[in-house]
Amino acid sequence: MSTIQDFSGYNPTWCPGCGDWGIGIAIKQSLVQLGLSPSSVAVVFGIGCSGNMNDFLNAYAIHSLHGRAIPNAIGIKIANHKMPVIAIVGDGDCYGEGGNHLLHACRGNHDITIIVHDNGVYGLTTGQSAPTAQKGFKSKSTPSGILEMPINPLTLTITSGATFVAQSFAGDALHTISMIKAGIEHKGFSVINILQPCVTFNKINTYQYYLQRVYKLDENYQKNDFKTAVQKSLEINEEKFPLGVIYQTEKPSYTDQLPQLSEMTLIEKKRFTEFEKITKLFI
Amino acid sequence: MTDFTWLIGGEAGFGIMTTGTVFSKIATRSGYHIFDYVEYPSLIRGGHNAYEVHVSDVDISHLNPTVDVLVCLNKETYDKHKDRLTPKSLVVFDQDEFEIKEDIKKITVPFKKILSDLKGQPVMKNTIALGASIGLLKGNIDELIKMITEQFAKKGENVINFNKQFVQAGFDAINKNYSDSILNYLLKKQGEEKLVLTGNDAFSLGSVIADARVYVAYPMTPSSTVLTDLAAWQEKIGMVVRHAEDEISVINTAIGSSFAGVRSAVGTSGGGFALMVESISFAGITEIPLVVFIASRPGPATGMPTWTEQGDLLFSVFSGHGEFPKIVLAPGDNEEMIELTAKAYNLADIYQMPVIVISDMYLSESHKSVEKSFVDKFIAEYKISRGKLIKDSSNKQKYLRYKVTEDGISERLIPGAPGYFYQANSYEHVEDGHTTEEARSRIDQVDKRARKWTTYLKNDFVTPKIYGDPEKSEIIFVSWGSTKGIVLQAQKLLKAKGTNSAFIHFNHIYPLDREKILSLFKQNKKYVLVENNSWGQFGKLLTMETGIEIKDKILRYDGRPITPEEIIKHL
Repeated sequence: MSTIQDFSGYNPTWCPGCGDWGIGIAIKQSLVQLGLSPSSVAVVFGIGCSGNMNDFLNAYAIHSLHGRAIPNAIGIKIANHKMPVIAIVGDGDCYGEGGNHLLHACRGNHDITIIVHDNGVYGLTTGQSAPTAQKGFKSKSTPSGILEMPINPLTLTITSGATFVAQSFAGDALHTISMIKAGIEHKGFSVINILQPCVTFNKINTYQYYLQRVYKLDENYQKNDFKTAVQKSLEINEEKFPLGVIYQTEKPSYTDQLPQLSEMTLIEKKRFTEFEKITKLFI
Repeated sequence: MTDFTWLIGGEAGFGIMTTGTVFSKIATRSGYHIFDYVEYPSLIRGGHNAYEVHVSDVDISHLNPTVDVLVCLNKETYDKHKDRLTPKSLVVFDQDEFEIKEDIKKITVPFKKILSDLKGQPVMKNTIALGASIGLLKGNIDELIKMITEQFAKKGENVINFNKQFVQAGFDAINKNYSDSILNYLLKKQGEEKLVLTGNDAFSLGSVIADARVYVAYPMTPSSTVLTDLAAWQEKIGMVVRHAEDEISVINTAIGSSFAGVRSAVGTSGGGFALMVESISFAGITEIPLVVFIASRPGPATGMPTWTEQGDLLFSVFSGHGEFPKIVLAPGDNEEMIELTAKAYNLADIYQMPVIVISDMYLSESHKSVEKSFVDKFIAEYKISRGKLIKDSSNKQKYLRYKVTEDGISERLIPGAPGYFYQANSYEHVEDGHTTEEARSRIDQVDKRARKWTTYLKNDFVTPKIYGDPEKSEIIFVSWGSTKGIVLQAQKLLKAKGTNSAFIHFNHIYPLDREKILSLFKQNKKYVLVENNSWGQFGKLLTMETGIEIKDKILRYDGRPITPEEIIKHL
């Protein structure tokens, strides 16, 4: 049985009060509670304040390029589909630079878990606006207010084919733990959008801002109904933030559908040596 | 001695490609060697397709300047290719479709009437043309019938029999009306069993031999048939082929699977590779093995998608930001493609770096016959070397993924091994993988990565192949990659005129070993650089790496391959 200590690497360098602290603890706690160890889980980190968790969390890991964590995670899963694979990314990383990968990973229902730190800004590059920033948000890169609409990550992923979409709030560690655990346990593509205040560069989306606008889905909420989920996901366009599993359904994952992986993983397989089967095609 | 060119042309979208490949296979099944080449526009319908097959008693990978049998499925074929006819050439066409005024040897086959009589689809004109060609060249009609049977096996007896009629009608038309014109060019003879492969097929086959388990690509001419080959075989061979959303996802998927421990490759052309280069650098610093196949076409940008050029050499050599080692290999023909592809996977594993295999449309899409015994022997002798890949570490206390070593190579642990963990870090890192910005560690890691090149040059770099005797030659050609067969033919033509030449053929392109290369350029001779691009890119690389400067250059960059004849003319 592993402990929080086993997963703990360097001491984090995040700003005091940053939402990443809560998310970092929640991730480690989830892995411990799921009975995983740093040797039994693969984690891919994006680039950003969230990605800097690479040095703070012990695991078989890739600290990727900005935006590319998802395809790295897909590749690991294809090679070793028995290993849980998690991508820890930011909003700019996943919804901006890597947006195309997110869309297509949803379509493929790759059995990986995406944990998005959604704080509306690019913290590591000192506070430019991110794709989830509310329209009109003023930042160094948008001094007159951002002209674009914010991305709605929930609607986007639900309608693109993700089979597990949840939202949590960094200020509520217990809820975040339950969402991360449910996401990792889900067989298929899971996304957990975690609302996270950036205390240094985002003076709008503060703890107070979220505390006033988040609410938990009640027990009767039908998370497996697609239309209900889409409807619910649209609430964030009105700055109302439901917390919980917004959508969950069961579908075969990408690797489930590959007959060549039905018996064992790619790394476990023996070398193919019946070369005549290929050479005869060319005679 | 048999040595002739058969060319078939017609409108794009009507099966010219398949027809050409069938002709090539009939020739190899009849005991001959072939090299073929296709010209087609970047269109699915409406353009002009031409497929030529060079048939010979000997191993070849060049085209003839002349066409011996021209099969015209439309008038455009005749107009475009009549300049290559000789007084002996035969032209197959249907006089009901168009008229030829010139005084040439005309073989008219009633395509239109046969199609109408037998109620055939327009695409079956090809089948008639094949029957007629086999008749005209005294080929083995049974072999053609057998191939038609194999081709339509899944569609059932009726479809097979329906198609056979068209073969027979074409064959009979020749025997009935032109028995005097029949040439013995395709008479069946003894010959080794051969595979008919494109360069892309050879890359695919090399990858299977090397036990590649993940191939990721986004379709891009002229690399796409690697994707379609391997996708078709994946369940049989236990590989996973992913057609990802873009080339950035392509390379990052492969980096992920390679990190997890399986041999992985990607394939593309210049434009797709341009999207990948940030991740080439990523594979460089994380020291994740990766094989990258580039089938070049003329750029810049979309360029001329279905034509050929060796224009991406310097781009591939210098791809990726920052300083990190990589290896670039450029096969000269199918045999070298099989060898160097399989070697690329070993080098990627041994040196834990990106290894680029660069081809071009001429090599990638042309078929060349390869003796099966060559492939069998290669398979038997090929040894997989995964370098310092380990399943468990000798140092239980502290496994160091990026341990500073004398040869620059560190042990690479397969993720999942119990008791360990590590990160492959795109940031500069210390030996255990954690991020660093500290000066000493930075220097240690930069130097460690660079030492992998030194180790490669010492252990695995291969000096260029030399054809002919430089000491006895007046002219020494210097070239690389797919121009090999063309320069070899130019040497033959020169020899026939009494001129001795030598040829330095590079296929281990980068890095180059300065001392070993310098020793090849000591002769006081006329060195001639031959390249299928406008800058003489290999020449520049050679100057940069060794100081050697070749002033005399034969460069072609109109999208067409260089010909042996233009090399001779230049001299």
